[in-house]
Amino acid sequence: MVFSLSHVMILLLVPAAEPAIDFNRDIRPILSENCFYCHGQDGNKRKADLRLDVREEAIKALALVPKDPGKSSMIQRIHSSEAGEVMPPPKSNRKLTPAQKNLLKRWVAEGGEYAKHWAFVTPVRPAVPVVNNKAWIRNPIDAFVLARLESAGLEPSVEADRATLIKRLSIDLIGLPPTLSELKAFVSDQSPDAYSKLVDRLLASPHFGERMALGWLDAARYADSNGFQQDGDTWQWIWRDWVVRALNADLPFDQFSTWQLAGDLLPNATTDQKIASGFNRNHMLNGEGGAIAEEQRFVNLFDRMDTTATNWLGLTMACAQCHDHKYDPITQKDYYRLMDAFNRVPESGAPQFFSSRIRVAPPVIELPTEENTRTIADLEGQIKAAEEASRRVVDAAYGMWSDAVLKEEAKRNDLPDPLKALLKKPMEQRTVDETTKLKADLRKHFDDKVKTGLVGKAPELAKVDSLRKQLADYRADKLPRVMVMSDAKPRETKVLDRGEYLNGTEKVSFATPEFLPKMPAGAPANRLGLAQWLFAPEHPLTARVQVNRIWQQFFGFGIVKTAEDFGVQSEYPVHGPLLDWLAVEYRENGWSTKKLLRLIVTSNTYRQSSRYTPSHLAKDPENRLYGRATRYRMPASVLRDWALATSGLINLKIGGAPVYPYQPDAVWEALAITKERDFTYPASKGDDLYRRSLYTFWRRTVGPANMFDASNRQTCRVRQSATSTPLHALTLLNDPTWVEAARGMAQRAMKSQPNTDAQLRQSFASILCREPGAREMEIVKKSFDKQLAVYKADSSAAKAFLKVGESPRDESLPLDAHAALTSVCLGLLNLDEAMTRE
Amino acid sequence: MSQSIPKVVSRREMLGSVGGGLGMVALASMMGAGKSVGATGSGAVLGLPELPHHLAKAKRVVILWQGGGPSHIDLFDDKPVMRQMAGKDIPESIRGKTRLSTMSSSNSKWPILPSIKPFQKYGKSGLSLSTMLPNVGSMVDDICVVRSMNTEAVNHAPGVTFFMTGAQAPGRPSMGSWLSYGLGCETDNLPTFVVMTSSDSGKTCGQLFFDYYWGNGFLPSRFQGVRFRNTGDLVPYLANPPGVGASARRALLDDMRDLNAVRLAESGDPEIETRISQYEMAFRMQSSVPDLVDFANEPKRTVERYGVDALKKGTFANNCLVARRLLERGVRFVQLMHSGWDQHGNLHTQLENQCKDTEGPSAALVRDLKERGMLDDTLVIWGGEFGRTPFGQGDPANPKGRDHFGRAYSWWMAGGGIKPGSTFGATDDFGWNITENPVHVHDMQATIMHLCGIDHTRLTFRYQGRQYRLTDVHGNVVKGIMA
Repeated sequence: MVFSLSHVMILLLVPAAEPAIDFNRDIRPILSENCFYCHGQDGNKRKADLRLDVREEAIKALALVPKDPGKSSMIQRIHSSEAGEVMPPPKSNRKLTPAQKNLLKRWVAEGGEYAKHWAFVTPVRPAVPVVNNKAWIRNPIDAFVLARLESAGLEPSVEADRATLIKRLSIDLIGLPPTLSELKAFVSDQSPDAYSKLVDRLLASPHFGERMALGWLDAARYADSNGFQQDGDTWQWIWRDWVVRALNADLPFDQFSTWQLAGDLLPNATTDQKIASGFNRNHMLNGEGGAIAEEQRFVNLFDRMDTTATNWLGLTMACAQCHDHKYDPITQKDYYRLMDAFNRVPESGAPQFFSSRIRVAPPVIELPTEENTRTIADLEGQIKAAEEASRRVVDAAYGMWSDAVLKEEAKRNDLPDPLKALLKKPMEQRTVDETTKLKADLRKHFDDKVKTGLVGKAPELAKVDSLRKQLADYRADKLPRVMVMSDAKPRETKVLDRGEYLNGTEKVSFATPEFLPKMPAGAPANRLGLAQWLFAPEHPLTARVQVNRIWQQFFGFGIVKTAEDFGVQSEYPVHGPLLDWLAVEYRENGWSTKKLLRLIVTSNTYRQSSRYTPSHLAKDPENRLYGRATRYRMPASVLRDWALATSGLINLKIGGAPVYPYQPDAVWEALAITKERDFTYPASKGDDLYRRSLYTFWRRTVGPANMFDASNRQTCRVRQSATSTPLHALTLLNDPTWVEAARGMAQRAMKSQPNTDAQLRQSFASILCREPGAREMEIVKKSFDKQLAVYKADSSAAKAFLKVGESPRDESLPLDAHAALTSVCLGLLNLDEAMTRE
Repeated sequence: MSQSIPKVVSRREMLGSVGGGLGMVALASMMGAGKSVGATGSGAVLGLPELPHHLAKAKRVVILWQGGGPSHIDLFDDKPVMRQMAGKDIPESIRGKTRLSTMSSSNSKWPILPSIKPFQKYGKSGLSLSTMLPNVGSMVDDICVVRSMNTEAVNHAPGVTFFMTGAQAPGRPSMGSWLSYGLGCETDNLPTFVVMTSSDSGKTCGQLFFDYYWGNGFLPSRFQGVRFRNTGDLVPYLANPPGVGASARRALLDDMRDLNAVRLAESGDPEIETRISQYEMAFRMQSSVPDLVDFANEPKRTVERYGVDALKKGTFANNCLVARRLLERGVRFVQLMHSGWDQHGNLHTQLENQCKDTEGPSAALVRDLKERGMLDDTLVIWGGEFGRTPFGQGDPANPKGRDHFGRAYSWWMAGGGIKPGSTFGATDDFGWNITENPVHVHDMQATIMHLCGIDHTRLTFRYQGRQYRLTDVHGNVVKGIMA
């Protein structure tokens, strides 16, 4: 259904006069969907030994006789009405429409030419199209969009109003609302560069990186625990903090990627570069009893492959784990040759137990914080002091023990044989060296073996022991160990029959897929080489895939809607030239993400109103042509930040260990079926309750309860979904997070505004970033009055309502009015507009 | 006619309110799947327009999941030969090269462990079941016992995931999601796919219930199963905050609706209409969900039928009763997940306890549905991720349990087009190899879909460049278990 719909779309969007046939746009999708499964590149599934994905083969088999549809068996078969003859066969559940049949016929008549799949051809910068309405063009993006709109007989939308623009930019670039004074200043700024200044300010904000990181963390399946039964906590937030820093610093995307793919392999790799390589260590880790470590190691390898292929290549390589890809020219051998680059990590496949809470799998790097260093130094100091204090006791004990050993043969039983032999020699016959050695060995034996027996008897010694244990526990539980990549353990990589790890067949060594460009000359045959290959100028996918992901963040969906798949089965892009232009632009601007974003958000295309017009609804309901801005619900994490920020509660500290904001009871505790670890939710207190959502602890077995529609952080996801269900409504209406935010907002308004009207206006504006209209004001006032009546009549209800959340209430504010205004603010936070990027 | 008629009226009204002019494409896109950001459609009501593919026998499905792997040898598949050969090794000719879990794969002894309790014939059909299943036995003329289930999975999570989603690794949509996606919903004040969990009263061998057992995979997230919790609110955030009464909330929602309407007129985005309707449904759920567990109007006789635990929240018995109330109210797919059948070392004590916890309530549910005339179009499925080994685990001279066994195991089903009082499939004298009519996990999935009016090969969803379906590229509908 999705498929047929997109076809309808494309047909609708093609101008009425019969256009020239474009194989990639018009023919390949039909062949791929209906024919390649049995007549494609997977030799194992091929029927009748016929390939239709290679023109020469189709001609050789007479399936295709160029310019002669009547003689082409393909055309005969698709038009046949006999059940045994017609293609595709009825039992395949695939059926060609008359329009598709005609198109194929016309294509054969015109010569039956093939073309390489568009996404596998290096993008070249297309000429900027000429348009009628030149005045509308602010930068080349607009020319591409407008040309397409004009050919479809559509006009672009008017520019959105100032208030909408600042709200939109704030959501898109930093994920935090403007303050009321910022809002006011921008709306009234008449200078021609007001918009541009705003864009610059937001791009320079330290919160930019936090916003941009959201999609990247989904793709990187980042979480703060391993998943599976014990679900050990990890320190991967150190990697997350690096992502935010790198995005803020606009680390060019080629380096941003190279560090993550191969930072550890860079010459003289810095700590940051090593941390960045943790990207490939964000996978799940299964340490369950009975799990076979080597099997799990392969699960991790497959996951690295899927993630790398989806994230940078926009390809689904997973199919080729078991067999040659059905649609894309990826062979099973290609898969394992690429996997060789990841098959060198000194890892077992299972996590290592550090403390009952922490389980991470080496290789790791230890990154002591200042507090760690301080605490460790302090404990070591205490141990030293305790050792000093115990030395006297120990020395005295040693004296007594060694005297006895030297004198009495009977006391020598437990000594190691070499010592016994030395002692047997009469004292006077021992050489000087032997005497020295005897003393040293005796002392060593005493310290290692005998002394421990004294612990119970001498409190001085027990203290040393307990301090040492304290230090070991502290290091295990508190010393950050971020998992990183390393090539320290090269292994033989084999093609795995049907993808099963025990069924290795042919030995292979690292190579990139054959159908894509060759490795750059001199590139090493490892992950670093892989990264260099991805960013070679002739690479057809990397830039396209990433600009598409960026585009999707600003327009709701990508130019290629299937952001995770640019393969043969992907949708043919309506705005292909724009995609290519952006890809080349990105590469040629030095892969600066901020420069690319600036170009996008300063375009007229971006600045359009999101209002639906009848002509858009009729001709382009899905907005595939971008003739208006897209309205869509903000991600749940941004919704929470938005509420916290408008309430004034938010704590904007950047980075650090994850926090544990409000969560319903028993969400984690329900996981505790073993006693192996404590699943009590360690709820945060004070300021930590109001950190940005990015910093909420992400338990992989059960994500944060109020982050609805979030990626599961188990596998790579590059497309967000935004659905609308009653459960979301319940969350935003009843979660203490939102209730407390509404209370904070009400309090703020009451303390800064003299009367109810002004308080309502301020609340409305701070949430929705605009002044209420007359009708809206009327509704809001009426709403306040209704709520006020409720709470006037029931002050205990008001008290209970205002008690939600940990932050203190200003008790000088009247209970009833505060409760009523809190209600209204909660309602405002739940308006469609409040949760929508318009 | 048992198939559901899509309720499109509200949708038409919605489209009308936006000012008309929307073509079929727009309509389709709003109803359709696969829209990502910005796209929702209320979807709570409508299924796919081409569904059902044929007349559905089952309008709704309840799965009574028995996690851990119930022993077919002890409960459903009587093997007199094993009693004669107790303690002797299972012959190698029977064992062959069966893949077993790492707990048994290196065994050198395979001591036959016959059923720990006797079997008896029940009902008019004379079907033979364990004496530990008296209540199921009393309903035996209404059920079909399938003795030839089989799976490749050897461990719990992969096994459960395999039945629920069609793949052993997590990430695919679960069966309930597929059905919700395909068939839509018959109620507009409850979720269409509900999950409830419980574990054995002795807490002897629990397994975690991972959320991908009811996940939506790559289907839109509104098709995810909604799990009712055993503590706190049944659904997270269901209750109003302290100090907010129903009428104050109602008033607030009315005002919000008015404000949303102003914006709708301004922006023209039909999504706003969807948002309003979701808030309305949320409000209805606030009373309809607590009502589910308010048994005040249940006849005492009915509650008692479910056993002493019926009123105890979080028990299997309680969940069975709630399940019936859900089905009654139009919920399409109810997935009860119970754990505790993983008896590696406590078979002789735990199996009977486990039966006591579950078999009475399971039978009560079937009886209850039957009395209400709902059994005919409600499919009831009872089973776990695999069976247990015919040989004993632990000390070969005195085995205390059984290991996982996917090569052959038993399920029972009832209602919704299932042939009552029947058995299907058979195993050899040792319950080891299937000797007739094997039913693979994919076949069972295909059959369940079929009974719901769906051709499992045609309900597909395009993701990552390929059409996915619940049964992957496998599955044959098992006609032999149908009435």
